[in-house]
Amino acid sequence: MKLKPWKYIVAIWMTGVIIAGFLIPIPDIDILQQSARNLFLHVPMWFTMTVCFAAGLVYSIRYLNKPDPVMDRKAETATQVGLLFGICGLLTGSVWARFTWGTWWTFAEPRMNLSALAMMIYVGYFVLRTAFDNPSKRAKIAAVFNVFAATTIPFLLYIIPRQLPSLHPGAEGNPAFSEITAPELRYIFYPAIIGFIALAVWLNDVLNRYKKVKLQAEQLTA
Amino acid sequence: MKYLLIQAQQDTASAVDTLSRSYADKWEAAKEIEEAGVIMQAMASYDLIFVVLAVSLIIWFVLLFYLIRVDKKVSKLEEQIELKTLEKNHEA
Repeated sequence: MKLKPWKYIVAIWMTGVIIAGFLIPIPDIDILQQSARNLFLHVPMWFTMTVCFAAGLVYSIRYLNKPDPVMDRKAETATQVGLLFGICGLLTGSVWARFTWGTWWTFAEPRMNLSALAMMIYVGYFVLRTAFDNPSKRAKIAAVFNVFAATTIPFLLYIIPRQLPSLHPGAEGNPAFSEITAPELRYIFYPAIIGFIALAVWLNDVLNRYKKVKLQAEQLTA
Repeated sequence: MKYLLIQAQQDTASAVDTLSRSYADKWEAAKEIEEAGVIMQAMASYDLIFVVLAVSLIIWFVLLFYLIRVDKKVSKLEEQIELKTLEKNHEA
């Protein structure tokens, strides 16, 4: 009944990231000021979400290749955790926008609206899942939908926002790292990404095991 | 746009001290921040950033504790299921 050792490492790692993220001295960046520290929290949300959705896509393709309920379960879980992180990204971005752009939400900002649209597409995945009683039919249609949903992510989150004028830090048609990003921020930024992805793996693990046990319990009592 | 709320708290010591000023006559132990303990002075330094760190850490530790608890509960269920399936196979 013991926790796996790597989970303790994740717990300590993330604690270190949070403490260091608050305490390291950061250079004076115009407009962002101390909110530049959001780079350690808000940005990894999107990285983690992308990794989760990519994992969900892989599991969905594997399900379509060879129908196995385990793959459907893993695809659903990865998408759930990805959506969770995506919603966290939207909420934290909105709070930050209030104090730098002066508004909780603006339809002038493509990155903000397109990421909300991407979230809605993934909400559609779960709505679609509820529409079927037959597990194999549900798994198959959900897997097909997930392939389409995952295909939109690179366009909605990475390609289109860079083609449009944007106020978002790191915008102006360049990759997210521009001269605005001070190099010392990366010492915490990269560990934060690793930490949050590891946390997402942990959440996936717990959810998958819960679903498996639930199924087994149902089979035992049946 | 000016950040009025933040500017009002530029003097960290006075920001921390609002409580003791309001209740000064009712609270005999109230001290100026300069007279407070080392930990309290440290918490009040750097524009109160350590207070936010403390709040964030509390949230993180509570969520972490909960995640670990759920993880262990699932492990327990896994063991029980394993035992039950063994029993069932034994009977059959």
